[in-house]
Amino acid sequence: MSTLLQDIEAQIAGVKSAVIRQNVGVVREIGDGVAKIEGLTDVMMNEMIDFGHGTMGLALNLEETEVGAIIIGEYAHIKEGQEVHTTGRLLQVPVGKGLLGRVVSVLGEPLDGKGPISGDAFYPVEKIAPGIIKRKSVSQPVQTGIMAIDAMIPIGRGQRELIIGDRSTGKTTICIDTIINQARLNRAAEAAKDKDFRPLYSIYVAIGQKQSNIARVINVLEKEGAMPYTIIVVAAASDSATNQYLAPFAGAAIGEWFMDHGMDALIIFDDLSKHAQAYRQVSLILKRPSGREAYPGDVFYLHSRLLERSARVGENYGNGSLTALPIIETQMGDVSAYIPTNVISITDGQIFLETDLFYQGIRPAISVGISVSRVGSAAQIKAMKQVAGRIKLELAQFRELAAFAQFGSDLDAKTQAQIERGKRIVEVFKQPQYNPIPIEVQAAVLWTVQNGYFDDVAIDKIRDFQAKLTDYLTNRKADVLARIAKEKALSDPLAADLKAVVTEFKQTYQ
Amino acid sequence: MKISKQARRDAKQLFRACGAAGQLDEMRVRQAVQQVIARKPRGYLAILAHFQRLLRLAMDRRTARLESAVPLDPTQQAAVKDSLQKHYGPGLDFSFAENPELVGGLRVQVGSDVYDGSVRARLTELVEQF
Repeated sequence: MSTLLQDIEAQIAGVKSAVIRQNVGVVREIGDGVAKIEGLTDVMMNEMIDFGHGTMGLALNLEETEVGAIIIGEYAHIKEGQEVHTTGRLLQVPVGKGLLGRVVSVLGEPLDGKGPISGDAFYPVEKIAPGIIKRKSVSQPVQTGIMAIDAMIPIGRGQRELIIGDRSTGKTTICIDTIINQARLNRAAEAAKDKDFRPLYSIYVAIGQKQSNIARVINVLEKEGAMPYTIIVVAAASDSATNQYLAPFAGAAIGEWFMDHGMDALIIFDDLSKHAQAYRQVSLILKRPSGREAYPGDVFYLHSRLLERSARVGENYGNGSLTALPIIETQMGDVSAYIPTNVISITDGQIFLETDLFYQGIRPAISVGISVSRVGSAAQIKAMKQVAGRIKLELAQFRELAAFAQFGSDLDAKTQAQIERGKRIVEVFKQPQYNPIPIEVQAAVLWTVQNGYFDDVAIDKIRDFQAKLTDYLTNRKADVLARIAKEKALSDPLAADLKAVVTEFKQTYQ
Repeated sequence: MKISKQARRDAKQLFRACGAAGQLDEMRVRQAVQQVIARKPRGYLAILAHFQRLLRLAMDRRTARLESAVPLDPTQQAAVKDSLQKHYGPGLDFSFAENPELVGGLRVQVGSDVYDGSVRARLTELVEQF
């Protein structure tokens, strides 16, 4: 009891000696989520400013006589003449494995009603990307489970692959498919107690989207059992432009924690066009000079500093990675607009989705000609390289020949064969949504296509043939698939076995 | 009132001209304002409005506002003045005020720096901790 009294006395003595030093300012102007503040002589760039009642702002403009700050969250209670003070802190979010399975706001507050978030640490929202010494080249694959992507536009861990296309061409679907596939792979590896497997955690950042869309995405992920490996960061259309501007940075901070701790993460920014618009709004209200399409001059830096944060780091620095899949929505297929060209030049390749293909029933509507992955092929498994190496070329040749063949009917046998093969490849790459295909099945199917086993199947039967072949392989010849998955290459004996299996299947197929 | 860029620039120039050795010269300020009013250059009202703002901010920076719950006796005032001048240099203006809301202690504001040793501030901090 006596120690308790002494403790309290000591504490009281400590309190007495404290003089609180603060740097204060006065709100001169407030509106549209932006405040102009006089005073605050010691404020630093990007420092949090306390507006009272738990409301925080970020100092973005340091001018001669005033400070321009954006307010995070509700600003209706802030009045002109109100006193505010600096905090000496940067904006930070809780990070860690405790966030998996949760839906959080920009500040890391829970939005899913599942109780408080237990983060392992706090990370600043704005952080400098890993430097050249820390980095390592991309060498491990991200299996999206979408055959067209895994075969022709492979993505590696640590890569930044842009997904670009008009509205409703299936951009989000590709990302959701990828998240679902990661969850399946993670769960399978957990069940098999595979020590070498590196799980890939997903972060989905929704920027300026309709609440109904976000709810649908969450529903799909929950239904497919992907939520335990996924974090969703939400800045919906009804949130302030400030929150929409900060959301991808908060998401990147959450992803960086995984990277720093030797894990792999995948982050999806859905979408960066709306992010640029939110930033444009904030910048215009802050009276920053505007440039092309009224975007501020630093809109390129906005996206480059964000996407630079996804990287693959070397063994000495944690050996983790952060893969980014930014999404850009184009207008009428115009990839030469300001923001699309910026993001195309920042990323390591793009997947371009076309409305025409989408309505022709080619889904995912990937335009093979202008979709590329600049670094992903280094991360492709050997089996896939062996079978998919020529597919992209064949498909490109087919597109050219098909356009040419429309004019004349007389075609030599070789051209005819190329066209027929191309038609079959197009059919094989059609894939329903939320239905990722394991990499070994992809390799086996593509091997079958490459070796001409699809050539005598009628075009309208291809989907059926493929489905039954997949079924046959997974249910009756699982050992061959297991060998492909294990060896990761199609050696001669394995190819011989695969040939026997496919020949056997063809005999039974009607 | 909309203050144009040119008016801002002119006001700033005028303001600079009123300073001598980093200190504001009160005589010059009065003279400058009288001259501007007498000559009425283009946009002189905007210039004066911005000039006034710059002047207010400059004076704020050199003013120490001391609030206490009970009036300070002259020796206490001298001690506070002395220590503030040691920190901020000479040329500070002092204003003393009584504010019973502080409950006890002293609150000093120099420019935008606030040193709050009042009981109210400590209580607020305590409330925030819970």
